[in-house]
Amino acid sequence: MKAKGITAFSSRRFGAVVAVAFALVATTLPSATAAGEVFGKACTTEGISTGQSTTSLICTMGSNGKLTWTRVRLGSNSAKPVAALKAQPGTIEFHHWRPEDKVVLQSIIDKFEALNPGVHINQVIMNSVDYTNLAYAKISVNNKAALFVTSRGGQFDQFYKGGLLKDISSNRYVSQNVIASALTPATVNGAVYGVPYQSLFNNPLYNSEMFAKYGWTVPKNWTELLGFCKAVKAKGIIPFAWPAATRGNAGQIMNSFLMNSAPDLATLTARIAAIDTGKADLTSDWFVDIAKKYKAMNDGGCFPDNVTGYNDTVAPADFASGKAAIYPTGTFGMSTVTKLNPSMAGKMKMMSMITVDTKPLYQGITNNTFILSVNAKSSSRDQSIANAFLSFLATAPIAQEYAVGTSQHVSIINVDYAANIDLLNTSDIMGKKLLLAPRFLFVNVGTVRNPLEDALIAIGGGADITKTLADTSKTIKQSLGA
Amino acid sequence: MRTFNIKKTESRVLIAMAFPAFAIYAFLYLYPSLSNVYYSFQRWDGVTKPEFVGLHNFTYLATNDDLFMKVLGNNFRFSFIVVIFQTLLALLFATFLLKNTKTSIALRIVFFFPTILSSVSVGLIWNFLYDPNFGFINAILKSVGIPGLNWLGDTRYSLYAIALTQVWFHTGQMVVIYVAGLQQIPQELYEAAEVDGASRWQQFKNITWPMALPTTAVVVAYTTIQTFRAFDLVYSMTQGGPLNSSDMLVTLIYNTAFSSYKWGYASAQSIILVFVVLLLTYLQRRTLRLNTGEK
Repeated sequence: MKAKGITAFSSRRFGAVVAVAFALVATTLPSATAAGEVFGKACTTEGISTGQSTTSLICTMGSNGKLTWTRVRLGSNSAKPVAALKAQPGTIEFHHWRPEDKVVLQSIIDKFEALNPGVHINQVIMNSVDYTNLAYAKISVNNKAALFVTSRGGQFDQFYKGGLLKDISSNRYVSQNVIASALTPATVNGAVYGVPYQSLFNNPLYNSEMFAKYGWTVPKNWTELLGFCKAVKAKGIIPFAWPAATRGNAGQIMNSFLMNSAPDLATLTARIAAIDTGKADLTSDWFVDIAKKYKAMNDGGCFPDNVTGYNDTVAPADFASGKAAIYPTGTFGMSTVTKLNPSMAGKMKMMSMITVDTKPLYQGITNNTFILSVNAKSSSRDQSIANAFLSFLATAPIAQEYAVGTSQHVSIINVDYAANIDLLNTSDIMGKKLLLAPRFLFVNVGTVRNPLEDALIAIGGGADITKTLADTSKTIKQSLGA
Repeated sequence: MRTFNIKKTESRVLIAMAFPAFAIYAFLYLYPSLSNVYYSFQRWDGVTKPEFVGLHNFTYLATNDDLFMKVLGNNFRFSFIVVIFQTLLALLFATFLLKNTKTSIALRIVFFFPTILSSVSVGLIWNFLYDPNFGFINAILKSVGIPGLNWLGDTRYSLYAIALTQVWFHTGQMVVIYVAGLQQIPQELYEAAEVDGASRWQQFKNITWPMALPTTAVVVAYTTIQTFRAFDLVYSMTQGGPLNSSDMLVTLIYNTAFSSYKWGYASAQSIILVFVVLLLTYLQRRTLRLNTGEK
């Protein structure tokens, strides 16, 4: 099925969309310099690219609204990616939270061990909830955990504060193999403390086949979005399969609500920081406006009935079976959907969820997470093994194996997504102006972010805005003071 | 002198034999418990050095933490509902399944069956049953014209929905305890009552209930402790939500420590939990003893 989909996939688009992934750090060149390389003097389709290497060109929309060729420059310098480092013999543990990646990672580990005789890497896997809560306690007392992952924001900060992250800035693979912009979440005061391996896109997935069948188009603004919900519901289809009963995935939609809620990024960051530190209340006008939009979506029929009891087992099943048009989580939800219904492969696309009627500042969300770090408290030999394995993961063929096998975009240069049609289909979001997921700017996860998201979920389910936000604000302030 | 030496040697051997068990107990129970007491007087995020804050964590809990009070209330309500229903149902079933007939034994196994399931599995199964849009329970209700409820997604029902699951989960276990207790009641008492013309209800009221009080004390104490340890079920069904409506002390403590990284504060919360359980157990036992005339 997948092979058929790929064959059917237009070769022009195939070559192009892959490279669009790397437009995030594109450096604009004069169109005269770029014109004519492959596609002619002028580019006409946003997102079209000449390839996937650091010398590729991509067609992007300039600030003047015109399409221009832009040179992709992925690394922090123009040097070519380097090969993996060699490891000394020894055994280390690799701690992470993705049981679904176990097989692919084991295949990669087997290859690494074959290339480095005497090296053994054991995966230690917890589910993501347990990992969030227990990883620090476990890894901080286990020096054999020489390689581990953290998530962007609170968890990375916790490990950094605990002195568990080794500075890996001086490694050539860091500057030459990893997309430079992707390193931001793992960079502190100019030093790099890990490789954010996954490039996630926390935007709603939509069923492109269903959209085509009913003649729907992706809503471009808030008014269109509410109108879209009405049209979809009239057909007996759930517009947004929002898994409100499962906070982890229900919270993803908040990224879209936040991204265009402030006049600029600095203001947004300051507002989030004010709430995160208890200096501002959830009852501030800015946050109340966001809450009102959750309520408006519920009132507008965007969400399923009894949405606060609608969990993340039912939501992807409804989306996969054609009962819902949109599954508002992110690229990481695609593999679940195709497991539930393999015929969904190639039908999922990613949409910008615009919640304003003015010109949006951002068109989508990205997140560089699954930050791979070397344990600063491990022995130097174990650190060298971990570092060598990390450099191995940062080579294009291996990153590609991981990407295709796990349906995740990665932050490594020169990766070809051709073998996974869903990765290709959702790559066009990368040609848009994306914001690093603002949800993770709330670093006080248990004290602030969780209750805040619970409040928005309750409001999205119909709870009273004023009372819910006032009560939650009080809880947050009391918890911060404890 | 010789006897004294033998006794001394024997006692040393006995101490040595008890040592491994004591060491395990000390390492796995005593040390963590004492550490917990120590950390309850500290402000500690699990990363930086703990800072001594005296009784601050306890005074803050008592005076400034509405969420803790709300969750404490949740736990009392949950405990009350489960203790009442689980105990009464277990006693009722045990009364009917007292005789060792094939049917009774088979039914006891059926009732006991949920107990052997893992609590997370039970949580997932009941999540499906409670699903507001296609769940079995709402389907039954709708088939007889009653509108379904958003069982786990509504702050008004979530706690009761979990309580019902808890009762289903553990009643069978209590049935077994009751059956064992009721089988100790001398048959002659019932025979004498029958000769005196006592009805089934009078037999239950005047013989079964008073004679079963010691067993009831065990069942009630055990059920109470279970309700204050109901972590897995709550976590797998609602994670304490929506809006903390089904949060229990154990889930709150877990979140305080592992999500908010307030380890000292979580330690203080857990000490309050221990005292609450101790107090409740003491009060229950005292009440039941008064009923049996024990002093």
